[in-house]
Amino acid sequence: MARFYLGELEELVLLIVAMLREEAYGVTVVAELQKQAGREISISAVHAVLHRLEEKGFVESRMGGSSPERGGRRKRLFRMTAYGQQVIEQLRDTRNAIWDIIGNPSAS
Amino acid sequence: MNPQPPRRIVRLIEQLAPRAFQEDILGDLDEMFAADLKRGNGYARRRYTLNGLGFLFKSFFWTQKRQPQYTMMIGSYFKMARRSLMAYKTTTSINILGLVIGIATALVIFTVTRFEKSFDKFHTQAANTYRLVRVSGSDMSEFRTGISLPVPPAIKAEVPELVEVTSMEYFGGANVEILNASGTTVDRYREEAGFTFVQANFFNVFDYRGTDLKWISGTASLLDKPNTMVLTKTMAQKYFGDNNPVGQVIKLQRKWDFTVAGVIEDFPSNTDFPFTVLLSYATLPQLNGEQRMNDWVSVSDSHHTYITVAPGTSTADVEKKIAKTHAAHTWKELSDSRHYLLQKLSDVHFNAKFGTYTRRTISKETLMGLTAVAIFLLLTASINYINLSTAQSSLRAKEIGLRKVMGSIRGQVMVQYLVETFIVVMMAAFVALGICQLLIFYLQGLLNMPSSTISLPAMDTILVVLSIVVIITLFAGFYPSLVLSRLNPVATLKSKFATDRVGGFSFRKVLVVAQFTLTQIMVVGTFIIVMQMRYFGNTDMGFDKDNVIAARIPVRDPVVLKGMEDKLRSQAFVNDVSFSYTLPGGVRRNGHYADIGRSGASSMHDFQVYEYVSIDENFLSLYNIKLLAGRNLVIADTARNILINETLLKSLAFASPTEVIGQQLKMGDQTSVTVVGVVSDYYSNSMKEAPGNIAMVMQPENYSIVSIKIGTPPSKIALQNAITVVDKIWSETFPEFMFSYVFLDENIAAYYVQEDRYAKLFQLFSIVLLTIGSLGLYGLITFVVNRKGKEVAIRKVLGASITNILTLFTREYLLLIVLSFALAVPVSFYFVNDWLSNFTNHVSLNWYYFVIPGIIVLGVALLVILGKSMRAATLNPVDKLRYD
Repeated sequence: MARFYLGELEELVLLIVAMLREEAYGVTVVAELQKQAGREISISAVHAVLHRLEEKGFVESRMGGSSPERGGRRKRLFRMTAYGQQVIEQLRDTRNAIWDIIGNPSAS
Repeated sequence: MNPQPPRRIVRLIEQLAPRAFQEDILGDLDEMFAADLKRGNGYARRRYTLNGLGFLFKSFFWTQKRQPQYTMMIGSYFKMARRSLMAYKTTTSINILGLVIGIATALVIFTVTRFEKSFDKFHTQAANTYRLVRVSGSDMSEFRTGISLPVPPAIKAEVPELVEVTSMEYFGGANVEILNASGTTVDRYREEAGFTFVQANFFNVFDYRGTDLKWISGTASLLDKPNTMVLTKTMAQKYFGDNNPVGQVIKLQRKWDFTVAGVIEDFPSNTDFPFTVLLSYATLPQLNGEQRMNDWVSVSDSHHTYITVAPGTSTADVEKKIAKTHAAHTWKELSDSRHYLLQKLSDVHFNAKFGTYTRRTISKETLMGLTAVAIFLLLTASINYINLSTAQSSLRAKEIGLRKVMGSIRGQVMVQYLVETFIVVMMAAFVALGICQLLIFYLQGLLNMPSSTISLPAMDTILVVLSIVVIITLFAGFYPSLVLSRLNPVATLKSKFATDRVGGFSFRKVLVVAQFTLTQIMVVGTFIIVMQMRYFGNTDMGFDKDNVIAARIPVRDPVVLKGMEDKLRSQAFVNDVSFSYTLPGGVRRNGHYADIGRSGASSMHDFQVYEYVSIDENFLSLYNIKLLAGRNLVIADTARNILINETLLKSLAFASPTEVIGQQLKMGDQTSVTVVGVVSDYYSNSMKEAPGNIAMVMQPENYSIVSIKIGTPPSKIALQNAITVVDKIWSETFPEFMFSYVFLDENIAAYYVQEDRYAKLFQLFSIVLLTIGSLGLYGLITFVVNRKGKEVAIRKVLGASITNILTLFTREYLLLIVLSFALAVPVSFYFVNDWLSNFTNHVSLNWYYFVIPGIIVLGVALLVILGKSMRAATLNPVDKLRYD
């Protein structure tokens, strides 16, 4: 198993990127973090996390989709890479396996 | 107005944010600002400020990608390059040496071609200037520059398209006497070239813009007056020193007085008008007589006419109008045989058919050939570099591997390598620049460049050198850098064997073959050129040319000549003396041509053009020209008795020499002559051409040359003494004329000056190419020998003989060289055959003309390879094996 390190916030952001599919960028990620997890994270922190995820190869980005309220500036749209997908699936499996053990105390 | 986000924050982020992120950061902030506005302007601005400043505390915001790393590396590139160049000193010096030789020679060639191409380019009207030339003869094979005197004024008057028409008569050398105020001679000079009659509007057509040619005193219009002259600065200084030359009187040819009216700077070296003394064209009627000015038939080949037209004028149209004007003034026979053409000024310097006053033309093909040679040179030097570098890549593989492990990306390794190449090429170019100047200085004569052109315009040269450096750096550095950067770091560091196979070995072979093919082409070509030159020098021209000195006689008085002849003959060293109109061969020979036909000839086609030579009774014996039939001319013969040569005999369709003896022939002017003898053919022109039609007659009134045959064998000193004695007799006979003579054999050799020059240049280039090739071979073999040291030792231990080892090293390269020879032969055959076909008399191509130079190249290569591998083969194998 390849070693990787994924912080708690990173994992959350990565999941949200996966959830938002083609519409993941700074503002939407901030909004979803608030909506799904009730977390108030500043935009700059989100940017930093996204940037880190990209460096680790979990997501990739491209520029696109400008709008008038952005002053005509383009968004940096993020998408999960295959590697990122693999990583969160592994995380989920590991957790599920552990929860399986926790959730069934009678078995112990 | 919509509320805006705080400007100060926007600007802060604009300035600080990394380029790549600026757009999406500001976009996101704006978008959030727009959403926050629902909760009030102040709230939104506060949020914006907080969010914006938040970015400043994130580390990603401050990491700039790559850029700083790159700038840091440049110093490192140079440092590393210096270290690795120092580490492989042999290779570096072979590389630099090869490049120096190649670049220096190429620079010399570029300098020459640029100089030749610059001729008469600087005139404002250059693009609209043409020389009026003639093509004559029934087969249009005679290319002449001479224009009859009445033609220029007539066309100027009748052809409206002509803006300027300027004529000049190049006079060449002259007897010069400087007169003092009372008209007596104070100084005397004999000049050999540079005197010319020009019209004032010469300077309208040729304004020499941008050159140093300026009027020091006087103006061009002074040349409109008869009997005026303008001196160049050098001549003015020669004749008058520091005195003011204006107003002084100079007597030319002992007859004509000219008043100095102006002084002009010297003409530049890159002009085809090599004038030193300008005489007013308006003086010509006095010199030639008014009648000659209206003579449409007679032509002097040194009387040239240049015209300018308005831009965009059709030259075909103008040519037609000129032909019409000519036809209107002459009769049909004459106008039908003379076709006037306009030759572009830009063609004058490159067209040998018409020639120039300097007798110095160079064909565009020659220039292209020279440029090709320069490119050959640069190519071979670059190939050396590529070969040695790729061969070395196995040595450097570990270095590259380590670099990559430490994080170098491929691009950086390539740049590293290109920087190394750049340093090597730059160093080579610097040295080459110095050598180039030296070479030009030493090769002046060979290159036919006046010494004044040595100091080149610095900017130009530097630009040429820089572009050579850049091109070679890219050409020679790209492939090795590609090969080196391609190495897999793991393989290079892990296994010693993997490193032995890298470096495109087969490509290197291809390059060696290419290099030696170029060299062989040059060497074979050179060899054949040299053989042809030998042939010119050694083949019997049909007359004796050795030990003959000839001088132009200023007086034709038979008594004076007889006196001189007797004095000469009384000298022990004089074998024979002869007076004649012209010499049997050699450059700047007088020539007089006329028509002759059988007695029944009536139309133009029945007549032959022949050279009419006036001789005395000693001419044939002095020059050892054989009499085939009949008798020699004697003093009693009048102009009605002639000798003809074999070619004329055949041209007139007589079967045998005996048949023509006693026959009447008819001259173009209807007078009839009797053939009394037939002489064997001799080459009256260069051996590039076939012998022409010649008839000889005894006309003492036409004698203008004295030939003196010196008894053989004269030593150098005896010859000098002989000339001193002849000089003394000369001054006794012609006290007012300086003695100026030529050796006939030297005069004949002058026919081949151009070819001789090429022969020498090609020898030089061949040696240079061979040297560069051998250097490369030396480098390669050194490398192979070093790498295979252990293998050789083991082989020797196992019983291999020295011969075995030498074969191991040489076989492969010999095969390559033989292959390149096979490739070179057809190419050089094509070019050499083409070149030889320029000459009527040339060597026939033999197989050994190709094989001998091939063997020479092979021999040199073998010497290089054996010399180096011999060391490896004779080394004690124990020494090699003990330490590893």
